[in-house]
Amino acid sequence: MSEKLLSVENLTMKFGGLIAIDDLSFSAKKDQITSIIGPNGAGKTTVFNCLTGFYKATSGSMFLNKDNKTLDLKKFSDFKVAQKAGVARTFQNIRLFPQMSVLENMMVAQHNKLMVASGFSLLGLINAPSFLKKEKEAKEISKYWLDIINLTNRADDNAGDLPYGDQRKLEIVRAMCIEPHLLCLDEPAAGLNAKESAELNKLLKFIQKDKKTGILLIEHDMSVVMGISDHVVVLNYGKKIFEGTAQETKTSPEVIEAYLGTEE
Amino acid sequence: MDKNFLQSSLKDSLFTGLIALALFGPIVGLRTVAVNEALVVQPKWLVVALIVAFCAVGRFFINIYTFKKDQRRGEPSSFGKAISNFLDTKGSQIALGAVIFSIIFPFLPFADRYWMDIAIMMMTYIMLGWGLNIVIGLAGLLDLGYVAFYAVGAYSYALFAIHFGWSFWICLPLAGLFAGMFGILLGFPVLRLRGDYLAIVTLAFGEMIRILLLNWYELTKGPDGLTGIPRPSFFGLPFKRYPDEGVETFHTFFGLEYSPMQRIIFLYYLILILALITNFFTIKIRRLPVGRAWEALREDEIACKSLGVNPRNTKLTAFAVGAMFGGFAGSFFATRQAFISPESFTFIESAIIVAIVVLGGMGSQTGVVLSTIFLIGLIEVFRDFESYRMVAFGGAMVLIMVFRPKGILAKRKPTITMVKEK
Amino acid sequence: MEYFLQQLINGLTLGSVYGLIAIGYTMVYGIIGMINFAHGDIFMVGAFVALISFILFALTAIALPVILILVLLISMVFTACYGWTVEKLAYKPLRKSFRLAPLISALGMSIVLQNYVQAAQGARIKTLQPVIQGGFNFFEESEFVVTLSYLQIFIVLVTIVLMAIFTLLITRTALGRAQRACEQDRTMTALMGINVDRTISMTFIIGSSLASVAGMMFVMYYGVIDFYIGFLAGIKAFTAAVLGGIGSIPGAMLGGLLIGLIEVFWSGYISIEYKDIAAFTTLVIVLIFFPTGFLGKPDIEKV
Repeated sequence: MSEKLLSVENLTMKFGGLIAIDDLSFSAKKDQITSIIGPNGAGKTTVFNCLTGFYKATSGSMFLNKDNKTLDLKKFSDFKVAQKAGVARTFQNIRLFPQMSVLENMMVAQHNKLMVASGFSLLGLINAPSFLKKEKEAKEISKYWLDIINLTNRADDNAGDLPYGDQRKLEIVRAMCIEPHLLCLDEPAAGLNAKESAELNKLLKFIQKDKKTGILLIEHDMSVVMGISDHVVVLNYGKKIFEGTAQETKTSPEVIEAYLGTEE
Repeated sequence: MDKNFLQSSLKDSLFTGLIALALFGPIVGLRTVAVNEALVVQPKWLVVALIVAFCAVGRFFINIYTFKKDQRRGEPSSFGKAISNFLDTKGSQIALGAVIFSIIFPFLPFADRYWMDIAIMMMTYIMLGWGLNIVIGLAGLLDLGYVAFYAVGAYSYALFAIHFGWSFWICLPLAGLFAGMFGILLGFPVLRLRGDYLAIVTLAFGEMIRILLLNWYELTKGPDGLTGIPRPSFFGLPFKRYPDEGVETFHTFFGLEYSPMQRIIFLYYLILILALITNFFTIKIRRLPVGRAWEALREDEIACKSLGVNPRNTKLTAFAVGAMFGGFAGSFFATRQAFISPESFTFIESAIIVAIVVLGGMGSQTGVVLSTIFLIGLIEVFRDFESYRMVAFGGAMVLIMVFRPKGILAKRKPTITMVKEK
Repeated sequence: MEYFLQQLINGLTLGSVYGLIAIGYTMVYGIIGMINFAHGDIFMVGAFVALISFILFALTAIALPVILILVLLISMVFTACYGWTVEKLAYKPLRKSFRLAPLISALGMSIVLQNYVQAAQGARIKTLQPVIQGGFNFFEESEFVVTLSYLQIFIVLVTIVLMAIFTLLITRTALGRAQRACEQDRTMTALMGINVDRTISMTFIIGSSLASVAGMMFVMYYGVIDFYIGFLAGIKAFTAAVLGGIGSIPGAMLGGLLIGLIEVFWSGYISIEYKDIAAFTTLVIVLIFFPTGFLGKPDIEKV
């Protein structure tokens, strides 16, 4: 039994009168893939936005276990969630830096450590060897990840020129460059074909097993969800209606009714 | 060419003529002039008729000769592409050539006082353009109040130099620092605004600084301006024909004949060096993490946040660094003119600098040089038609945006490459 | 108290002028999402057209009310041509361009208009003899006589009438419906068979004619104009549009009145030299702390 990584307790998010998330509690474990599924508008992305600091939750709490310490995610505002708590995310509608090269995208993700290494630019301006060394390391890390997704030969092309599937994968490995404890993926398989979907599964398994990074996944593509999830949380109208393993989810009558569709 | 087409083109050009008549009829055709303190209208129908005819005939010929209506706008034209490619492949040689040219420029036979003054003015704008390029081109923050930092630099330089008598090389960094601090102060509250709102707020700040300079008489002498700003000296050697007793001057020290051009040439090299420092700094910082973060912020701020990049601090550094270079340029302006007043820091100056950066191609250092030569040259060419020069300038801004919205040089080079020197 | 009342009257009059200009900003922003930087200069052109027409009609024997209506219509028509042309030349080709391009183009257009009018009409200030004189006086026994001039009544009345017509236009007609549809989604509107180009053109025409009315009132109220009045008036009207909530037409009017009051009270009670600082400070404060204004829609960041 692996230890708990994230625990969300009684999370509620209201927009005016609309309750997007209603008293949601669930947890995710270290080196597991936890999927959040549910019909459109169930509040999945809102959960992500609360977790990653883009929205301030109305009430409830979110805790992250990091190096035997418990961090209250509510205390971190947007960019600090990534910087201090090590929670990385991707977006439903891919957000790369389209006019920058693939390699530059990877380097921006390593911004904070490079910033320190460059002595907040002062050491960098004089080409200090310590900075050049760190920069080279960062480049190595980028190459390592790009090798994994077979994009090294396109490293100097603009990210916006890549095919759709590659952009998805690039966004995921870019998020990995901040060395996150928890990786939140918002519909990574959307728009991918069957082959790309299979490659994505492989990549996610690799991140989970070899990198020991917990993954939180929003997905509609059931082949991805059922294929790789260790744990599934089902939302409907902002409420949790089921939580269990992938196998249990498939057979749960509530889930079938709300989401997978009742059999006529 | 079928008859229908001809007919419709004729109709279209008649319509154009009608619109032109409506546009120019009252404003150009009926000039108001004050006679005995009362306004009377002076008709100028001939001018209007000429303009209207020109518009209608022009439109007709455009209709006839542009069959290629589907020509995509925004795509670089073949001419622009050729220039881009040329500059891409021969970039470093051209840059080297340009630097060498600017170094030997004062000694070229035609470089008289007039040309030197234009060269100094262009170099000042190039430096301002390079400074603002950090803010607009790299960080994507449209700053319409850049002239404020130019003014802060100029005034702080002048005040330090007049009241404390400090030398150029002490006042210059101080003025830059001061302008940079001002950048942080102004930037802090406004940098979270989105693009167009930021533009308007910076414009407001620019105007506020000018109004403050106009009305704070005790410090700035208001509209009278500050006079007697010390001229720079060549490492302590002044450029004077008749120096004070026992003071060695530039020409006596080097055993030269006195000439007022010596000071002009010195000023030229001063601004050249300052501009080149700005350029090298920008090229270098673009390759550092902070520069890359600026460009990333320009591309997608939300993605930056998700990667742990602090957007506010990163924008602030861009704003402050840009302001600092504006301050340096302001110091140079103050020492060159020996007189400054709020007149020199109006909104139109900001607009010119923004135009230089955007028309050059956002983020392109070479583009700044090209568009400065083009725009300032344009204003210079129209010098004798005082009232039309700014019409031409504004018109050029619109035309370049319409035909090349990404600027003259739109291509961007990555700041770091995987394959060595592609 | 009397002094305050007088300032209130003056503020509301000035506010009507700003409000009419602000509508043009707000409509254009609503429909194509850009700040029409040249709008202030369109207002200036309107003021010039009105001035020229007044001078010409002064030579005739037409009755004053007829002159007023004629000048109003003439300025609206001629200025609308400017708005239409500016949109066609400088903004339409840039509709799909990157977001700063139309703003730069608008900046260029503003420079062109200002300097063109300067070249054509001269840089000197132009003065117009008062067209409507007289008014009601109140508190005649007290030290400070409060005046409500006929001109002020005229300005406020015209503003109210135009606002009413305009509100009907937006809420009741097919054009208004098309405009509101374009604000939501331009591509979809085009797919529904609505001529988007024409709708945008109409927006500019309406905005410019309202600005020209403001220009006419400005020249009647102050009696002095020059080619540079558009810059400041434009910024103030833009502030009004943001204050009222950009995109909202009643908001623009409300914002205009507020800016007019702020300016007049600031000059009346604090300092007249720094009167433009008041407008700029309001702008900065509103944008920083209050970017959605009174009647604007909240702008939730979509992730």
